[in-house]
Amino acid sequence: MAVRSLLWFYVGFVLVSFASSLWLLLSSVLTVMPIPLPYWFLYTPGNMVAAGIIVVALMLVLYTYLGVVLILNKMNRGFISMVMAFTLIIGIALLLAGLAIPALVILVIAYVMLIGTYAVLISVATTRASKALWGVATIILTLIPPILIGGGLAVIDYVKYMAIIEQATAIIASAIETWKLGVGGG
Amino acid sequence: MIVLILAITSVIIIIANSIYAIPSLVAYSRIGSLGGVGYYASQPVPGVPPGLLVRVFLINGSVVEPVRAFIDVYANAPSGIVHVSMGYSQSLVIPFNNTNWRYAIGRWASLGIPFSDYETSMLIFITYMKGNESWILPLVIPYNVGWVIKNSRYIVVDTLINVNELRPNEVVSAMPGITSVNLQLPSNRSDYTTYNCNLNAPKPPPETTFKPEIACLGFNGSLPIAWATWDKDVIKNDSGLSIDLTIDFWGAIRWDAMATGYGDIGTSYSALENVFLGYSVVLSSQVTQSSPEYQVTQPGSLYWYYGGATWAIVNYTVWYVNSTMGTYHLGNVTVFEVLYVPPNDHYIGMVLDYGNGPVSLLYYLASRHYLECPAPSIVDYAAFIYTSTGQEYLYEYNGPVTNISIAYAITLGGLSAVYGLGPAQLGTTLTDLSLGSEGLGMPPPQASLSLTGVSLELFNITTGMNLYVSVINASAIYGLPAFGFILNATNFYGNPTTYTCKYGKVTQIG
Repeated sequence: MAVRSLLWFYVGFVLVSFASSLWLLLSSVLTVMPIPLPYWFLYTPGNMVAAGIIVVALMLVLYTYLGVVLILNKMNRGFISMVMAFTLIIGIALLLAGLAIPALVILVIAYVMLIGTYAVLISVATTRASKALWGVATIILTLIPPILIGGGLAVIDYVKYMAIIEQATAIIASAIETWKLGVGGG
Repeated sequence: MIVLILAITSVIIIIANSIYAIPSLVAYSRIGSLGGVGYYASQPVPGVPPGLLVRVFLINGSVVEPVRAFIDVYANAPSGIVHVSMGYSQSLVIPFNNTNWRYAIGRWASLGIPFSDYETSMLIFITYMKGNESWILPLVIPYNVGWVIKNSRYIVVDTLINVNELRPNEVVSAMPGITSVNLQLPSNRSDYTTYNCNLNAPKPPPETTFKPEIACLGFNGSLPIAWATWDKDVIKNDSGLSIDLTIDFWGAIRWDAMATGYGDIGTSYSALENVFLGYSVVLSSQVTQSSPEYQVTQPGSLYWYYGGATWAIVNYTVWYVNSTMGTYHLGNVTVFEVLYVPPNDHYIGMVLDYGNGPVSLLYYLASRHYLECPAPSIVDYAAFIYTSTGQEYLYEYNGPVTNISIAYAITLGGLSAVYGLGPAQLGTTLTDLSLGSEGLGMPPPQASLSLTGVSLELFNITTGMNLYVSVINASAIYGLPAFGFILNATNFYGNPTTYTCKYGKVTQIG
């Protein structure tokens, strides 16, 4: 079932991904060039964390929007993405407060809810291609924790590449949905 | 359609970053509060050759902004320092194909050691001037010689001048040379070559509006690792005392550069080491027919050293020369650098020093507070004291003394993670590790951990002996936990009238 207002979730998803990767490109290339740069623009761990927090915040807004739209369309599975966004915020807050164990528990719940959100995205996807791409992303998201726990740091490179594929498939799936809902739905 | 293009672009960028087609951060380390250095793996960016890039930022309150400063870069070579480049700018770029840098690398290459075996460093001095004040930041930037050869990596240094936290130097109008520090050494140190550390690279740097002067002393010889010193009273009163000095170094050992006024400013040299050695001498008032070979009858020191090492005390004087305003002395920075240590245990040795070796030199420097060098701290460690009532007591003032059946042992040093040399520790729990196992069951050298342990074992402690053991901690000089033991028969080293007593344990032993 096509939900027209989901278009803006997909557009947002692509735009946020594009903005963050554009920052990655400009920041990394300009950092090694001998030109004056503001300190916050340098490609350093501190600035990467700051950029990451902004991206996560924007993504949470998008996932909340996704949940609201689905619920308004009588699809209660929208609660999954809202719960994910909510638990992630709580988890990060607990982490900042130094409560490592409760934070871990809450963040694990948030991660499971993220996988659930991806499953929801499969269910509302309008094309076979985007369903397949979300499917791949969901499978990778599910596999990463057991692989990391089992393999530890030895497999970190594989996990890195899996995460990149996950990101790429999610972005392309969103782009396909945008195209479909924007053109076909109009 | 636009969204599709944006999506594909994003994916391409993410993949390019992961395969190092664009600069990707592979390591980053902070340099205290003075900034940080990032190492970026990348395909060469068009128009930007790989190498070192230094950026300068000024912190004033909450504002962080790029600022122009004097940037002066030196490369460590096996036996000296090569001036590489300088500039007055917000940033300075030095490609790996810089002639002077290549010259320093050539010196390393001439040693014939695989490049992966060691890391060396660049010394960077940032001088920022405002009004009558100047701020000097000394930085040590570790790098692998192989990167220069292979023309890989971008090394980006961000320096932060915090004018609210760093103390400024006063800018005084002066003529260069007048106030240069007279670096004098005792003339009887014939076994040391003192020389100018400033190796002349093939092309001297072009004259600019400012001129750094380097007064430098290099010691091309023995780098003491650990030592035990005894005075003539010990020979006389404690005749028959046997001492065993053991060193235990394994893992990636890092020597840090120490700057006066700034402390530990970073690693200047590192090498993989795996050394476990011990040597004994008997202190005796007279030579007997049956005396073993290692009997000593005069005051002196027993020490372990790295032969063929180079260490330096480098004094950087920075001048600003302006044709209309005259010459200004910006300030001084003194850096203690270990420039080179032979890899592994190829050149390690044991020698007795009777007043002309590096240990004597160290005491001489300490006594003169040489160049305001961080004076080695001396700790009243423990004492064996014979009381008037006929009992022998062991006083453990500032650390444990382990009784291992026939001997008493003091173990100093510690384990440290490779990226952070912990503060030198006294009396750690390594006793079991270094003494009990005697090399058995010792974990193999690991890249992530290093151990620098020094043990002194005292044999033949008998009732009636008076022996005071002081510990000299020279870590602030060598940038590596380096300890010496000083044995006296009448009082602790320096004849203190009061003792600090943090450990505080007394045992009757006879």
